[in-house]
Amino acid sequence: MAGFLDTFGVVAQIALRNLFASRWKTLIVGGIIGFGAFLVVLGTSLLDSVDRAMSRSIIGSIAGNIQVYSSESKDDLDVMGGFSFDANQIEPLQDFARVKRTLLSVPNVSKVVPMGINGALVLSGNTVDQALARLRETVNKQKAAPNDSALADAYASEKDHVRQIVSVLSGDVEKARKLHDEKAIAAEDISVMKRASAAEFWADFDADPFDHLEFLENRIAPLATDADMLFLRYVGTDPKAFAQSFDRLTIVDGQAIPEGKRGFLFSKYTYEEQAKLRTARAFDKIHDGLKVRGKKIKGDADLERIARECGNQAKELMLQLDAPKTRLFRDKLQAYLKSGESDVRKLLDQFLRLNDENFDSRHAFFYRELAPSLELYRVRIGDTLTIKAFTRSGYVQSANLKVYGTFAFKGLEKSPQAGAMNLMDLVSFRELYGFMTEDKQREISAMRAKSGAKEVKREDAEAELFGNAEASAPAPAAAAPDDLGTALSGLSRTGSARAASTAAYAADQLTSGVILNAAVLVHDDKKLPETIAAIEAAGKRDGLPLKAISWQKAAGLIGQFAVLMRVVLFTAVLIIFVVALVIINNALVMATLERVRELGTLRAIGAQRRFILSMLVLESMVVGLVFGALGTALGAALVLFLGHQGIPAANDVFMFFFSGPRLYPALSGQNLGIALGIVLIVSVISSFYPAFIAMRVSPREAMQSED
Amino acid sequence: MKAIVSIENATKDYRLGKVVVNALRGVSIDVARGEFLSIAGPSGSGKTTLLTLIGCVDTPTTGTVEVAGRDTAKLSERELTSLRLNTIGFIFQSFNLVGVLDVFRNVELPLLLQRSLSAGERSKRVLSLLERVGLMEHVRHRPNELSGGQRQRVAIARALVTRPELVLADEPTANLDSVTGQNILDLRKELNRSEHSTFIFSTHDARVMSHASQIVRLADGKLAEGISTGPTVSELHEVSSAKA
Ligand SMILES: Nc1ncnc2c1ncn2[C@@H]1O[C@H](COP(=O)(O)OP(=O)(O)OP(=O)(O)O)[C@@H](O)[C@H]1O
Ligand SMILES: [Mg+2]
Repeated sequence: MAGFLDTFGVVAQIALRNLFASRWKTLIVGGIIGFGAFLVVLGTSLLDSVDRAMSRSIIGSIAGNIQVYSSESKDDLDVMGGFSFDANQIEPLQDFARVKRTLLSVPNVSKVVPMGINGALVLSGNTVDQALARLRETVNKQKAAPNDSALADAYASEKDHVRQIVSVLSGDVEKARKLHDEKAIAAEDISVMKRASAAEFWADFDADPFDHLEFLENRIAPLATDADMLFLRYVGTDPKAFAQSFDRLTIVDGQAIPEGKRGFLFSKYTYEEQAKLRTARAFDKIHDGLKVRGKKIKGDADLERIARECGNQAKELMLQLDAPKTRLFRDKLQAYLKSGESDVRKLLDQFLRLNDENFDSRHAFFYRELAPSLELYRVRIGDTLTIKAFTRSGYVQSANLKVYGTFAFKGLEKSPQAGAMNLMDLVSFRELYGFMTEDKQREISAMRAKSGAKEVKREDAEAELFGNAEASAPAPAAAAPDDLGTALSGLSRTGSARAASTAAYAADQLTSGVILNAAVLVHDDKKLPETIAAIEAAGKRDGLPLKAISWQKAAGLIGQFAVLMRVVLFTAVLIIFVVALVIINNALVMATLERVRELGTLRAIGAQRRFILSMLVLESMVVGLVFGALGTALGAALVLFLGHQGIPAANDVFMFFFSGPRLYPALSGQNLGIALGIVLIVSVISSFYPAFIAMRVSPREAMQSED
Repeated sequence: MKAIVSIENATKDYRLGKVVVNALRGVSIDVARGEFLSIAGPSGSGKTTLLTLIGCVDTPTTGTVEVAGRDTAKLSERELTSLRLNTIGFIFQSFNLVGVLDVFRNVELPLLLQRSLSAGERSKRVLSLLERVGLMEHVRHRPNELSGGQRQRVAIARALVTRPELVLADEPTANLDSVTGQNILDLRKELNRSEHSTFIFSTHDARVMSHASQIVRLADGKLAEGISTGPTVSELHEVSSAKA
């Protein structure tokens, strides 16, 4: 044993001295190995952290630990993705009460939240329609009370507003006509505009307001293109159970959907992103870019685009300005811009030309001086949103839902992934999805009684609907199937009376009835595979077609992101190490060839081949260990530093992956071990071939003269 | 007593591409234990080649070379190595010290490979040898910090450190002054007496030859004349003329 240690000592000594003697080679080889170790530590630590953060994001925002849906479904459930209009084909589970009982019979299951996911297009905020509607209402009221001076004032002001709108629109048409080919603008539009802007049109307005209003509504309003399609993805759920299970949920504006009430909650992200005025949104985004991310508009492609687009959005503000607001804006903007310009449109155009120098001041001015006079959101909290969605069988179903407020998930406020999902009560969801609710059934039987329609089973009705929508009008779909055009006509600000009749529902409707899927939260998240198996077994036992999937699977592509990144990392590491292997191998072969005489001498003196082999492998191992440890330590230090400082999310997408604005990576002993292990293996493997060459060096080489 | 080296009609060809160099062309020598054989001959005559065959560094192309009673051509690589380590001490013509090790370690190296002595014993053996070759001041020096003669002495110490039965030396005194050269020869005599070691030196040095018990002369890969015991008269004459 002592002999062995001594031999090892001399092997080590020769090895070390050799490493030192060929410093640059050692440094190159060591550098590569150290870099590899550094990369492995950093990469695996970051990935683990992202993995953990993402699981928090996904589990905490909608998926839960496990998602359960019907095993008879044609498609896989995807609770995060699926931004397309075609919702995945998920077969409904008929009775949530039963499902819940079965799920809770599995020991590891702690909470069950019923769900259904779908999406709908909602047309929102046509300012022109709204202004015309207001004017029409005032005209109506005036008819009833012709001498009301307040109404006369309102009438004058609203008429002015509409006239302003017409002049804005006609300006646009004129501009478009100049910019584009004359033929691109329909001659009809131009003549319509001419008529509506003419002084005679407005002079005659008072004489026959309805006739003029009709003309404006039918011919002018369609030319205003400020109306926006909102594509809303929503989850229908038991709002209370949802809030309790996903405790990162916070109400940002307004309030939660009250128990037993129908209602809609915008995700704050969707609300800001889709429902806010574009100018205000641009101010927000640039402000965020400059203040939170420390960027500059100039040179940043994103911010430059936003600033440029903002400069073209004056129209959206103009359409909101009636006469007094126009005056107000003119005065304020003239003073602010120190301009003698009297055209508000031009003043706004100038004001909205944003750059790094003027941004702070204009942002402040916009929110302090202009925003109070503007409707910043096209849908206000408290409004009733008319959602028209395609049911499973393809016809259109609508529901009027009060917008109670907005919500966000803590830490994921700015994540488009977590923010894509809006919330509504499960009862409304079922209606929109084409399921019967008790309320609806009552309503239908009343309608049926009135119209004397024959009883039609749902399945038959749907079959009929495919054949002839007209003929099946009184089908159980309740609200008569609309055509797509009206389906998209959208938001109603006056629908509160209509909505009130169906605003409440019986409590048991949430706890029983049809669902599409359910989120399951567990006590011990380390036992997911077992729990998934147990759930499916319980489903079989209770005769329910339950399919359970982990949150990763439920989150579709996003859930696979971490796996994908891991594959990418490992491919990168593999490539780096293959390259390292080749380089190290070459360097060592070269070193070996330079040492042929020394090796031959050792052999001639009486060193066995395995002595030479162990010497070279030891050399590589020392390099691997020393530089591997150095790289690992460096990587660990960086991870610790980042863990302390946090890595800021470069953009909103990263918020989701980071589960917040910053990622705080943590170091795990396992990753250090993996890094060192890989590095050692690579350095040993890369020394095999040179060691083989060295081993074959003949003692005869000792006899060669030195030159 | 059986010869420690017994060479029977050995030839050695070196192949350089298409050219074949006949470095040895049928050499037969027997060396008994305790003898001191001196191989003389002009440059290129095959002295080093013969030593590599005796030293088990190489095997003959034809003929047999027996060292310590073993036919080297029939030994495995491992056995040859072990024979080199335990039976033979080789002093190379160009010393072949391990550049990265200091003098002490270079000399200790064969003992470390043998793994038979403790560190203390090794140290004692190495230092006493270094003292004998006059390198006590250079124990911790690296080869590249030594003169040619000092290096040669390190090589000699390394070859003798295992107290081998057979000591081979390729021109061991070529770079030494006469005093150190004499030291080496004294050391040889002493070892010969205490360990009964056998010595085979190739040399041009008449003084070395004068100590030899047997001298062979190589010319063009062949023994130039019959085996002679003891220095010839002309060689003694050479010695005296060298002294003058
Ligand atoms: N490895 C080799 N490959 C080819 N030829 C060789 C090799 N070693 C020696 N020779 C040739 O064999 C012959 C004998 O060489 P050797 O080295 O044995 O001579 P030497 O007697 O030791 O000469 P010197 O006194 O100069 O050292 C020479 O012609 C030499 O060129
Ligand atoms: Mg020679």
